[in-house]
Amino acid sequence: MKKKIVIALVGNPNSGKTSLFNELVGSNQKVGNWAGVTIEKYEGSLEYKGYTIKVVDLPGTYSLTTYTPEELIARNYITEANPDVVVDVIDGSNLERNLYLTLQLMELETNIIVALNMYDEIEKQNIQINIKQLQQILGSHVIPTSATKNKGLHSLLDHVIRVYEADIVIAKNKLYFREEIEESLQKIKEIILKQPNIEGCASWLAIKLLENDEMIYQKLNKLPVWLRIEPLLKATIQEIELKYQTDPEVAITEDRNAFIRGAMEETVKFNRVIKKSLTDRIDSILINRILGLPVFFIIMWLVFQFTFVMGKIPMHWIASSVTVFSTWIRALLPSEILKSIIVDGIIAGVGGVIIFLPNIVLLFIALSFLEGTGYMARAAFVVDKIMHKVGLHGKSFIPLITGFGCSIPAIMATRTLKNRGDRVVTMLIIPFMSCGAKLPVYILLIGAFFPPEMAGSILFGVYVFGVVLGLIMAKILKSVMFKNQSEPFVMELPPYRMPTLRYILLQAKAKAYMYLRKAGSIILIASLIIWVASNYPRDYKSENLINSEISKIHSSQTLTEEESEKIKWLENKVLAQRTKESFAGRLGSMIEPAIKPLGFDWRIGMSLIAGVAGKELVVSTLGTIFSLEEPKGKPFNLANLIKNDKGFNRAKALSLMVFVLLYIPCLAATAIFKKETSWKMTGFFAVYTVSTAWLASFIVYNIANLLFT
Amino acid sequence: MKICLAQLKVNEKAVITSIENIGPIRRRLLDMGLVKGTQVLVIRKAPLGDPMEILIKGYNLSLRKDEANHIFVARIND
Repeated sequence: MKKKIVIALVGNPNSGKTSLFNELVGSNQKVGNWAGVTIEKYEGSLEYKGYTIKVVDLPGTYSLTTYTPEELIARNYITEANPDVVVDVIDGSNLERNLYLTLQLMELETNIIVALNMYDEIEKQNIQINIKQLQQILGSHVIPTSATKNKGLHSLLDHVIRVYEADIVIAKNKLYFREEIEESLQKIKEIILKQPNIEGCASWLAIKLLENDEMIYQKLNKLPVWLRIEPLLKATIQEIELKYQTDPEVAITEDRNAFIRGAMEETVKFNRVIKKSLTDRIDSILINRILGLPVFFIIMWLVFQFTFVMGKIPMHWIASSVTVFSTWIRALLPSEILKSIIVDGIIAGVGGVIIFLPNIVLLFIALSFLEGTGYMARAAFVVDKIMHKVGLHGKSFIPLITGFGCSIPAIMATRTLKNRGDRVVTMLIIPFMSCGAKLPVYILLIGAFFPPEMAGSILFGVYVFGVVLGLIMAKILKSVMFKNQSEPFVMELPPYRMPTLRYILLQAKAKAYMYLRKAGSIILIASLIIWVASNYPRDYKSENLINSEISKIHSSQTLTEEESEKIKWLENKVLAQRTKESFAGRLGSMIEPAIKPLGFDWRIGMSLIAGVAGKELVVSTLGTIFSLEEPKGKPFNLANLIKNDKGFNRAKALSLMVFVLLYIPCLAATAIFKKETSWKMTGFFAVYTVSTAWLASFIVYNIANLLFT
Repeated sequence: MKICLAQLKVNEKAVITSIENIGPIRRRLLDMGLVKGTQVLVIRKAPLGDPMEILIKGYNLSLRKDEANHIFVARIND
């Protein structure tokens, strides 16, 4: 039996932890989500010198308090899952801040190994670190590594095994806080140690109690022993207040920082010539007061182009492969119903989702590149003030811009937001950023009702309307639903670095995999439901009647043009009739009273229902229904038909555009929304988008009616 | 007179003297190294004037005026 060692990687964001993880386990990794949160979970394993080493990559954190979900995950994993060795990855070129997390790991009294990462940069910057001394101070092995250059990894693994086997142990060191705190900690620790029902490291629990840690407080305050702990805490708070005019939480943090300063003085020699770093020079151009915003918009525009313009080519390949596949399957299957259910239902639905895969992959390549270089943090820095005005975070900007292409990658891109309130609100307003599939609707309606010289401005107006409404909604939602949840903008601007290709591709692969697996299951079921709803119930009798008429025309040897036009018309008639009689069609008629105030009749109602499957279906459904009313023999032109239709006019066209812009996004996007949130939130999402759409259309329709008639 | 971090101009250096207790955000500020006795240098302000970027403990940190208003500092001249 091979021995199994579990190691957990912890470290600050940008410490090179992910690179180290990738180098250790290679492609042998699993990606998932931590239970209950959508923070990605990376795990992998490797074989080394007869041991199986399982590596868990904990989310990057600066601290082990409970301020962010990442911190909580990291802390809970270490205290509850008890990994054999905790590898603390620290950025050697930024030792002072990184050691803060190391100190908190020391307080937990677990087995730590410090990976002094980016060692090549330390040497380049001419910083000398006395590693032996540092080992004594931290009470753990300190191993220089350069993850991206694959240096020091064997040494790291050797030490993991040594620590696991308790071979050459370095005496654990302890940080001493100021006297008053130490005394209090000692007393609390003694009380806790006598309680057999309290699990965990007693001295750590004591520190957390003095730090006013909410989670630990919740854990202990219901136990009878709390009656003995509480007065001690109160006394210490009073004592510290009296002596230092502050509270124990601050005092403890100050003492940690003092300890680090001491450690730095003893171990680190800076031979650094103070000169402007490359990062400073790049930033003085990229985010200066004049160029900052324009550069941001150009970069976002490039991301957008990269995602959607480059994505078109593979999208086209997938679309044609799906078509080829459909034709092949259609020929293979025996019965008509089976053909329809598999080809029109399943393949059309699932194919419609797979088609977005290139966009997802490209977007995440672009986003991981920006994130990896460090520009993402700058982008947030530049636009934060605008987003802050509506109660969001600077980082919300990226998903919103992506939303102009497609809501699906946009909703997934909200994962870069840490705060749940910011995330949910951003997701809720993404549909208002008009996506690519809505464009055919606008083009049809604008083309039919507005002169060409106005077309551009109207189209632009629709987009602006969406953005403005989205920002207003954000403000409202944020202040109603997530009142006090505001993510402060306390964010590191890391030095610029060139991300490795491997890192970017692994990120994109993880997202693609998640997208396919998650969207696939729901979409499959939903496609079937929609297929049934728009095909049943069916009037077989009258369909057969028309079909026999078609075959009668077919039977005549040569088809005149008029005859083939007639066949087309009859085929459309079957379709249109089926659509109208189907559940979806009936629903369209049923909701007519509800949408009448917006200027819509059942035909639009039906199209809007079909549009839930995909916004471009609004146009194709209108096409099917209107083709019925087409006088035979004329070339089919939907824009003309709509223009001359009694049930349509400019005001109705505007109202329809607004409705399509705002109402519930397509099923695929809604499915992704559900996967990222909950059923309850998705229900709210549906109700709120539809009611916003109704209200806005109603207002627009009535104003337009006054203006145009 | 007490001055706060938000009042500093670009390129000004100061040392932190205290942080007001402003709820859970203070925890974050403390964890990022904004404690009494730490030196800060204001690098720049964002194009729209907020947030600001500071150099602290050898790394660059950005924070909003909302937070910087509660961090008190003393200017250092050198």
